[in-house]
Amino acid sequence: MRSLIVNRSVRPYLLLVAIIVALWLLDAGRGRFFTAATAFSVLQEFATIGPIALGLGLSMIIREFDLSVGGMMSFAGCIAVLSGARYPELGVLLAVLFGVLWGLFQGTVMVWLRLGSIGVTLGGLLTLGGLAYVVTGNLSISYPRMDVAMAVNQPVLQLLSPRSIITLAAFLAAAFFMARTRIGRDLYATGSDRRAAMVAGVRTDVILPGVFACSGALAGLGGSLLSYSLAAASGAALTDALVPAVAAAIIGGVSLAGGKGTPIGIIGGVLVLGLLSAGLNAIGTPPAVQDVVTGGVLFLVAIADAVDLDPRLFTIRRYWSDMFLRRDLDKSGQAPAE
Amino acid sequence: MSDQALSAPWRLPLPHSTGGRVLVAIRLAAVLALVGAAATTPGFFTTVSLFSLLNTMSFIGCVAVGMTFITLSGNIMSFALSVTLSTSGIIFIAALPLGLAGAMIAALAFGAALTGVQGAVIGYFRANPIIVSMAALALITGGATLITQGHGVYPQGNATAPLQGRVFGVPMPLFAFIVTVIAAQIVLSFTRFGRQLYMVGSNWRAALAAGLEPARIVLGAYIAAGLCTALAGILMAGRYSSGDMELGIGYDYHAISAVLVGGTAISGGEGSAIRSLIGAFIIAVCQVLLLLHGFSTQVQYLAIGIIVLVVIMLQTLADEA
Amino acid sequence: MDVKVVLQAEPVAGAAKAAAPIAADKMGDSEPKPVAGGAAIVGVRQLCKSFGPIAALKDVSLDIGAGEIRGICGENGAGKSTLVKILTGVYRPDQGAVVVDGVAVSVATPRQAQELGIAIVAQELSLCPDLSVEDNIWLGSLKVPFLHKQPQLRKRAADALALLGASHIALDVPVASLSMGERQLVEIARLLTRDARVLILDEPTATLTDVEIERIFAALLAVKREGRSVLYITHRLAEVYTICDSVSVLRNGELVATRPLNGLDRTALIELMLGRPSGEMYPEEARARGAPALVVDGLSLPGIVDDFTMTARRGEIVCIAGQVGSGAAEIITALAGLVHDASGRVAVNGRQLKLGSPARAARRGIMFVSGDRAAEGVFRRLSVLQNLVATRLREHSLFGFLRGGALRAAASQLAKRVGIDRRRLRARADELSGGNQQKLAFGRCIERQANGVLLMNEPTRGIDVGARAEIYRLMRSFCEEGYALLMASSDLEEIVGVGDVVITLYRGRQVGHYRRGEVTMHRIVADITHPADAAR
Repeated sequence: MRSLIVNRSVRPYLLLVAIIVALWLLDAGRGRFFTAATAFSVLQEFATIGPIALGLGLSMIIREFDLSVGGMMSFAGCIAVLSGARYPELGVLLAVLFGVLWGLFQGTVMVWLRLGSIGVTLGGLLTLGGLAYVVTGNLSISYPRMDVAMAVNQPVLQLLSPRSIITLAAFLAAAFFMARTRIGRDLYATGSDRRAAMVAGVRTDVILPGVFACSGALAGLGGSLLSYSLAAASGAALTDALVPAVAAAIIGGVSLAGGKGTPIGIIGGVLVLGLLSAGLNAIGTPPAVQDVVTGGVLFLVAIADAVDLDPRLFTIRRYWSDMFLRRDLDKSGQAPAE
Repeated sequence: MSDQALSAPWRLPLPHSTGGRVLVAIRLAAVLALVGAAATTPGFFTTVSLFSLLNTMSFIGCVAVGMTFITLSGNIMSFALSVTLSTSGIIFIAALPLGLAGAMIAALAFGAALTGVQGAVIGYFRANPIIVSMAALALITGGATLITQGHGVYPQGNATAPLQGRVFGVPMPLFAFIVTVIAAQIVLSFTRFGRQLYMVGSNWRAALAAGLEPARIVLGAYIAAGLCTALAGILMAGRYSSGDMELGIGYDYHAISAVLVGGTAISGGEGSAIRSLIGAFIIAVCQVLLLLHGFSTQVQYLAIGIIVLVVIMLQTLADEA
Repeated sequence: MDVKVVLQAEPVAGAAKAAAPIAADKMGDSEPKPVAGGAAIVGVRQLCKSFGPIAALKDVSLDIGAGEIRGICGENGAGKSTLVKILTGVYRPDQGAVVVDGVAVSVATPRQAQELGIAIVAQELSLCPDLSVEDNIWLGSLKVPFLHKQPQLRKRAADALALLGASHIALDVPVASLSMGERQLVEIARLLTRDARVLILDEPTATLTDVEIERIFAALLAVKREGRSVLYITHRLAEVYTICDSVSVLRNGELVATRPLNGLDRTALIELMLGRPSGEMYPEEARARGAPALVVDGLSLPGIVDDFTMTARRGEIVCIAGQVGSGAAEIITALAGLVHDASGRVAVNGRQLKLGSPARAARRGIMFVSGDRAAEGVFRRLSVLQNLVATRLREHSLFGFLRGGALRAAASQLAKRVGIDRRRLRARADELSGGNQQKLAFGRCIERQANGVLLMNEPTRGIDVGARAEIYRLMRSFCEEGYALLMASSDLEEIVGVGDVVITLYRGRQVGHYRRGEVTMHRIVADITHPADAAR
């Protein structure tokens, strides 16, 4: 049992169970929570946040950070909406292609110029967000094909939709890739210790652009499908996607230090957030509460993952015990360590 | 022989490496290009556009100075300064019954507290600064929306009038901004805290081993950031005579853009408040130029994004020591 | 110089010589002639490489035969690492060539070196901590297919470990859970699976315990029996005599000699390396013993050190001798305040010191010079001046404001004291050489009132002989000013040469306490490897 808890990729599912129980109790038998509609909206949320959580998670696994996924999602939506009027598949394809190219560009810049990812992807975020703004003119562009919008969100088996199925497929492909292939192993190696991997012969200068191409492609996929489902592309909502994606990845077991985490775990993380959001919604809390909950969870996770957490806690504990020991000096008969 | 080295004839402080010199050349060229563009754009040197330029610059600039402290400490940036700005403005307006000074103190304290908590977690636990700031962004946004119910707050009567006036003939926001830059630069260049901040940003572990207390210094940096941002919030609230969550949107990006364009290193340990002033100025100039040439705000936004990307790529030249 | 290994030199060296004929059956020569180890597998011809004005290698030529273990010796900067980097494809030579099986080849990338059968285990291991042993063994190999979990690859990894006597290492555990010695074996296993014909080992034993070193040597012999060759780069001459068949000596970029070790005595070898008789490196002992500056009572670090007690007096250098993992280095970092779970009583100049905070320790006069300059010592982006005065800002500031003139004067003084050119004061710290950076670290510790305690961890690690002598002189002059010095070192010669008091440590427990003159390297080695009375 202990090994299950310790396993990073299982933890989000345990958390999921805990949340379900908590929400069920909060619901107090009013039946608002355990409905197919709630499950459907959780999975729709999964389809929205999932792709960028996966892309961001992959970049974190190699010990980098792709800030630009937020901007890519917006801009990809614009591309899809503008070019997919006749053939929606074309729109998605172009969006994904752009994501790949932009990711290759960012990754190559990082390798050639030996720059960290935060700086480059920050520039990417601003540029892509700006592009989205320019194209949309700060309004929303509407997508003429309402039939596509409906089809993309069509419930399948009551719970899923084409969007969530595609997203799930992407996750499963990634999971297979990471666990079973040589390149997946090399990704973990790059994140675990890049210098060591390089010396061993791993082509880290190819892996970096490759991973960023993937995260770009995934953001493109997610963004285009989202725009179709909303029948609109808007330039806004930069951090509305980025913050949940980061939270999902970290809850899902991906470590900021690199080398750890799996796509299956990230699915768990996205579901946790989706459940919190949909569940809170279903029992009637205002949307701002969801922000607070997401923020709170992310804050706690950031502390849990913090580098100096253990030493500090140790020092605090010792300080407390010193204080109490001083009072009980006679009883224990032992001088306290000073 | 002894002190001759120190009193040697003053030489232009050019960087030693070729890369560094190329970078200086590029920067000079860019500045000249900018000046040229400004000179050839009709309407640039009119009061209206200069006024708008200085106003934009002042608000972004104050936040940028705050962001500079965070970047110098090696913690890259904060995504939560925008909401700190908005909420400080709201607190300011809400606290006006305490008097102008009282309200300002309340707002400054509030801003410092918001960033201070983040600084404590980042400094003492060494949590990831980006994640913590994102978490704070969500928490503060959610919390503020719940409390304000999405409405803005408005002052009674004319309480904010002094903030809309001029000091020594200069608009209040600009005056406050310049004072902030001077104060920040003095702290960075001439105080022990400032010097230690550079050390912590350069190498945390070495600073720890040398007996400094990096956690405290990072906390101080975040508090400084909060004060600067809250000041910007007060000024904005004064300008628009309202406190509203909408006011601060996008300021994180504007601020970090100003910091990076000015030349502060994103990895910490190198930079200054003056550089952020220059960065804010350059960005404001670009914005006004684009505006005068008929480009929309969206294009300005895009242009700044591209400039930041280019600046970051050029940073690599500076690091070739 | 690792004397302890010499104690076992006879039996093992004998084994090496016995093994040689088996591997050298190609020679048709029953007497081992390591230099002409059969057809040369790999060699270099007239290799030249310069970096700017500095010539790192000048016209170096040598050959290594099959089944030969060749030691490569030379001071720091002699060209060993440049030679190795050319062999492994990291650098391209300016002139000359690498020769494999008699044919001149171009080793343009590490990948090509791998294909040619040249492989290296560097000082800094290239294992990824989060990956399993099996994954690490096969990491970067060209033979791994797309779906990398293949049973035959797993078997080959297991076989490689078995050959090295390391079958106890499970294939699926993350490498992070292994000891240093085990990790080294995993890396050697990696080389075997790549069919390396020439294994280059760069300072492989620097961080190993004696048991682990034995295992490595046994592994090398097994490898040699298979007909592979080994290039063994080390400063530890005793090991060269133990495991190598022959030695090539580099000095100032030139190959000075390649000799069989049979018949070459140690002083001759050292003279070849230094080009001069090894002179007086260590200054004389302390003249006077002062008051106790640092008193440690019952210092414990959970799992590492148990109840350590000692006193360091002013004007003395106290050396803590111990192998890696014995706790010597950890004691130093704990006293410097960098370890949060240390317990025990520590008094500095009579006043109690609470452990766990470097700032507190610094306020009491404890200064720490780390052996790891890049990580813990130098502020790279800041100037030399700012680095020097980093710890004395408080005394030169007024109400929180720095007094620039006073700081500049102080920096100038410090630079002069430690021998850094004062024209470099405004340069960035990362423009200095390693030796100069270490001097910078020392310079920071000089105080005006001398009642400080200087803690050092491997102070001369990675520094060549010339700069070392300077640092020892510096240490002695600190003592004369009234400092107490406490250092942890694994360099036995250094300990015997410099220490006024030597404390030996074995697995976290104190074994012996000696004054200068009472102790020999022999005695220290005995204590730190297998003390007869490891009681308590």
